[in-house]
Amino acid sequence: MGAKVRVVERKGRTFLEHLYLVEVAKGMFVTLGHFFRNLMDNSRLYVRHYPEVQPEIPSRWRGRHRLTKHDDGTVKCVACFMCQTNCPSNCIMIEAGERHDDKSEKLPVRFDIDLLECIYCGYCVEACPMDAIRMDTGIFSVTSDNRGSMVIGLEELLDTPGAFEEQEYQKGAR
Amino acid sequence: MSALDLLMILLRIAFGAFVPLSFVAVLVWMERRGAGFFQDRAGPNRCNFMGFRAAGLIQNLADGVKLIFKEDVVPGHIKHKFYFILAPMLVFFTAMLCFAVIPFADVLTIGGRDYVMQAVPMDIGILWFLAIVGFGVYGIILAGWSSHNKYGVLGGLRAAAQVISYEIPMGLALVSLLAIYGTVNLTEMAQYQGQLLFGFIPMWGVFLQPLGVIIFIIAAFAETNRTPFDLAEGESEIVAGFHIEYSAMKFALFFLGEYVAMFVSSALIVTLYFGSYQIPWLATETLVAHAKAVVIMLMLVTPVITYFFTGWIKKNNRSHYHRPNDPRVREANVYRVLLWMAVVLLEVVLIGYLIFAAGGAADRIIVALLQVVTFLVKTTMMCFVYIWVRWTLPRFRYDQLQKIGWEKLMPLALLNIFITSAVIVSFG
Repeated sequence: MGAKVRVVERKGRTFLEHLYLVEVAKGMFVTLGHFFRNLMDNSRLYVRHYPEVQPEIPSRWRGRHRLTKHDDGTVKCVACFMCQTNCPSNCIMIEAGERHDDKSEKLPVRFDIDLLECIYCGYCVEACPMDAIRMDTGIFSVTSDNRGSMVIGLEELLDTPGAFEEQEYQKGAR
Repeated sequence: MSALDLLMILLRIAFGAFVPLSFVAVLVWMERRGAGFFQDRAGPNRCNFMGFRAAGLIQNLADGVKLIFKEDVVPGHIKHKFYFILAPMLVFFTAMLCFAVIPFADVLTIGGRDYVMQAVPMDIGILWFLAIVGFGVYGIILAGWSSHNKYGVLGGLRAAAQVISYEIPMGLALVSLLAIYGTVNLTEMAQYQGQLLFGFIPMWGVFLQPLGVIIFIIAAFAETNRTPFDLAEGESEIVAGFHIEYSAMKFALFFLGEYVAMFVSSALIVTLYFGSYQIPWLATETLVAHAKAVVIMLMLVTPVITYFFTGWIKKNNRSHYHRPNDPRVREANVYRVLLWMAVVLLEVVLIGYLIFAAGGAADRIIVALLQVVTFLVKTTMMCFVYIWVRWTLPRFRYDQLQKIGWEKLMPLALLNIFITSAVIVSFG
């Protein structure tokens, strides 16, 4: 015999506990306490008054994606397809084109992300060798009334600013 | 038949029909806001009509509008459409009919004639209730069966088995109660509870039958299919049970029926065990004899209660975040003005009574109104217990449910009968 057998004492077998009534009464007074505390002063509810009071989003939180730019405003993305290859839910669709601004040889002419497919895992951010795609927009609520508008393109990705200071983001990323 | 007779009949029927219906709105509201507060959240409090949220009551209007305008689907696979449509009606009407025999005030004597304050003045009282409430489960079984859906059938079967097992302890608990009261007439039972035990304890069923009241309340919970005995609709196992195929107003009828049944069984528990309309230590005759003193007390107490209530509204009806020109504060001010206006109106009416109508029939009417209010307050408190239990206790497992019914409650109820009859025989 290898492992020692430890017998755990079983709870809930006494007569009083089998009656249920005592335990039921105990439980009911716990909930009644909560009820009266909240009834007497409803500012003590553990509730965020959501649409008016927004949650605080930390810099490491993965929100909707964006594409970053160089200081001169050109696209950082080099259309290497790393993110698309790495994406577990196949939500990224890149189409590469020739680039003539001496930054690199390629640039994306199409960069679509299907937000209905995306699982917000952040693998695209980790795979990117150019730090071109980030999930630091702080956008947590992505809603629409039709499927078409849930696929966002290059323009929208490029135009969305990051929600955090560069320093703050680097602290979170590394 | 005089005009007064007709008026009284109309009033009683209106009370019996509309009070349960309007209490559905109150109960749904109590359930949802109550659930919120029990779980440290707010519950539905955004729905408003021109900025007035009425503490969340407007949500009921929105729900009603939604249920009326939804598509009423009758699935194509249903063969017996008649029974499918009959089932929710049955559930709703049986629940409504049960309230017909419950007295809401003591027998009112005006102009030398007695008016029994029940919607239907019958002597059979509790027997009517037992007959009709047992019929209510037919609606559930019929719904489950005619849905032609395995979840529906399972829900219906569970409901049937459960109601059969719990009607026995319920009936046995009633037997010992009937032995004490010596009548099946609910008005007479309520009058019996106006007496005093040993001269200082109100002779309520709860003091005469402490074991019986527990058995009866547990059985009543099972009868109305409420948590912890709501296995008929156990969402986690059989989705929604018997009403899985129902939509729109047919579903709403089940919903209404459930809450009316809850209200009616609270009313019955109050009638049988918690003194019905009796105000403790103040029997009807005492109240009538001292009607003036009672009215003056009322005039003093109402403003005090209103003062604290408006203070509570002012404290709680505001936004808990920064909001310029908080509309909720304005809303609260309107409520407070309305409340104080209602109080002033009440005081004026009562002063009018003191000056012009004191003595005679007006005394009896005022006492009857007071008793109606007492009855409704007690019933609301019992409904709160239903809600309180629902948001505290988890659902029983099915074998536990049957075990409690047959192995615990039934022997206890029998024991209760023996003890009660022994006491009655030995002390007369």
